[in-house]
Amino acid sequence: MIRLERLNKYYQQGDEKIHVLKDISLEINQGEFVAIMGPSGSGKSTLINIIGFLDNQFEGEYLFKRNSVIGKSSKDYAKLRNQNVGFVFQNFKLIANLTVAENVGLPLLYAGYRRKDIGERVNNVLQSVHLKGIAKKLPSQLSGGQQQRVAIARALISKPSFLLADEPTGALDRHTSQEILKLFLDLNQKLRSTIIMVTHDYQVASQSQRMIQIMDGRIESDRSVSK
Amino acid sequence: MRAAELFFTAIRSLLANRRRSILTMLGIVIGIASVITIISLGKGVEKATLKNLQASNSGKQSTVVEYYADDLNAAESGFNESDLSLLNSAGASFGLAEAHIINDDNGTVDVQASLNGSEQNVTVKLLKRSSSEQEISAGHNISQNNITFADPVALISKKLAASIYIQPNRALDTAVIVNGISYHVIGVFENADDFHDIMIPKKVYKKSNISNVGNKLKLVFNRGENVSKQTKKIVSLLNKQGSHHLQGSYEHIEMGQILKGIGSVINSLTYFISAIAGISLFIAGIGVMNMMYISVSERTREIGIRLAIGATPKNILFQFLLEAVLLTGIGGLIGFGIGGGLAWLISLFLPFRAVIGVGSFLLAFCVSTFVGILFGILPAKNAANKNLIDILR
Repeated sequence: MIRLERLNKYYQQGDEKIHVLKDISLEINQGEFVAIMGPSGSGKSTLINIIGFLDNQFEGEYLFKRNSVIGKSSKDYAKLRNQNVGFVFQNFKLIANLTVAENVGLPLLYAGYRRKDIGERVNNVLQSVHLKGIAKKLPSQLSGGQQQRVAIARALISKPSFLLADEPTGALDRHTSQEILKLFLDLNQKLRSTIIMVTHDYQVASQSQRMIQIMDGRIESDRSVSK
Repeated sequence: MRAAELFFTAIRSLLANRRRSILTMLGIVIGIASVITIISLGKGVEKATLKNLQASNSGKQSTVVEYYADDLNAAESGFNESDLSLLNSAGASFGLAEAHIINDDNGTVDVQASLNGSEQNVTVKLLKRSSSEQEISAGHNISQNNITFADPVALISKKLAASIYIQPNRALDTAVIVNGISYHVIGVFENADDFHDIMIPKKVYKKSNISNVGNKLKLVFNRGENVSKQTKKIVSLLNKQGSHHLQGSYEHIEMGQILKGIGSVINSLTYFISAIAGISLFIAGIGVMNMMYISVSERTREIGIRLAIGATPKNILFQFLLEAVLLTGIGGLIGFGIGGGLAWLISLFLPFRAVIGVGSFLLAFCVSTFVGILFGILPAKNAANKNLIDILR
């Protein structure tokens, strides 16, 4: 589904040109649960920004479902994100003055649905992440674990091709982390959702199917996890 | 995203920051309100002027010439048939369609009356209905029946009765002749106000006042005449040859002239206030811009989230632009309301009514929307062009 070929990415920092990603080639298939690991500054965030269509400034080839995304406009990128990617961030990134239901339904509004037509889908998706009766609450009234579930619900609502989770457990305690992780595993196993998760926690990564280690902008290792 | 959803989103954001929104709106409200006030007054003057220049429905224009006697106690009216024939003989050259005397018997007339054989200048009160408040010192009051059946009966004041009959009681059952009709004196009244000498039923007096006299002359001109110029000519003719030109003067007070004066004052005020309002709107616009920039930088995170989950830069641009336009638009409508109300209130103290029309509504709406777009576009562009990677880091 995702195929990167000799991907290179440079940052301009002052007079210096920093080479962040070096010749990355990678293929991720439908239904995989991939963990991307690496120390901070290794380039893993840059990589998932490119995979998640947040960044279109790179060299190399990116084929998504066999189509190249090179040269697409920022509007096309917005559409790609809206329809194909479900983002889950470390610090949840919910909009503070919108209710839970509004936050979850937002991707559908940007997809062109009417507010009044999406209520049922919002309820269903909230149920699937084990959240009930909080639809009218504001994010600030929820615990960290609940907020991350809301974020996952928002990521799932447009039935994306893959979930992209950037340190989804980074801001959570051990117990809650395990719950969120279990949710991901459930989604992967029951619904065959493709999940790409960035983490620097080996414990967390080891529960995925495939671990990719990034070091200094290169893929250091890429192996399936033996259970 | 659908336009309706975009609209809703913008409203939500404004309400989330209610106090700031209201304060920002205030400048627009004041600017628009002052413009609407002055424009409504200006339009009111304009309308009153037009109406004054062409009174009749048929499009014919009319003016009124009044007679003022030099002797304030003179009973004789300033216009009579001879004036009409004077005007009729020269009428064509004035473009006159018709001229007629207005009987100015609005309750009181000054006439000559004959009592006990002597001619007196008296002030007569014309009764439309029986007045129970009138204090009667002798005889009895004029009843409603007297008035309904137009009985030629009269009350005379105690003062007048005393001056003619020495004893007021002796005036009872005598006759007083007004305009050739003999009235039966049935009572003597206390004239506390020392103003009226005689009271008679208006109906009876009307029958007698066949001789066409009065202190006002209405002139109706043919369509297209220069009314003000022709009236002036007629006034000067009357002052030379009018029936009473020796005893008084004929004058024409041109309402149009007064209104023109007010109009020109308001016109210059309009420019002045428009200039101030323009500055006020400009400053208010900068306030909107400032607020929008603050809002954009405060909501960078929100912008990032929206972009990440599929908003296009255009969606973001429109959301913020719409917020600015809603802010100024609502401010404009409130300003229109306040301005209209203020104009109406002010015009209560002026000789015309303010005109608050669709035109001023559209002006308020368009100007405020324009200010919103003008000062909202840069912050909105700023929001739309944020670098997504930098925001989400």
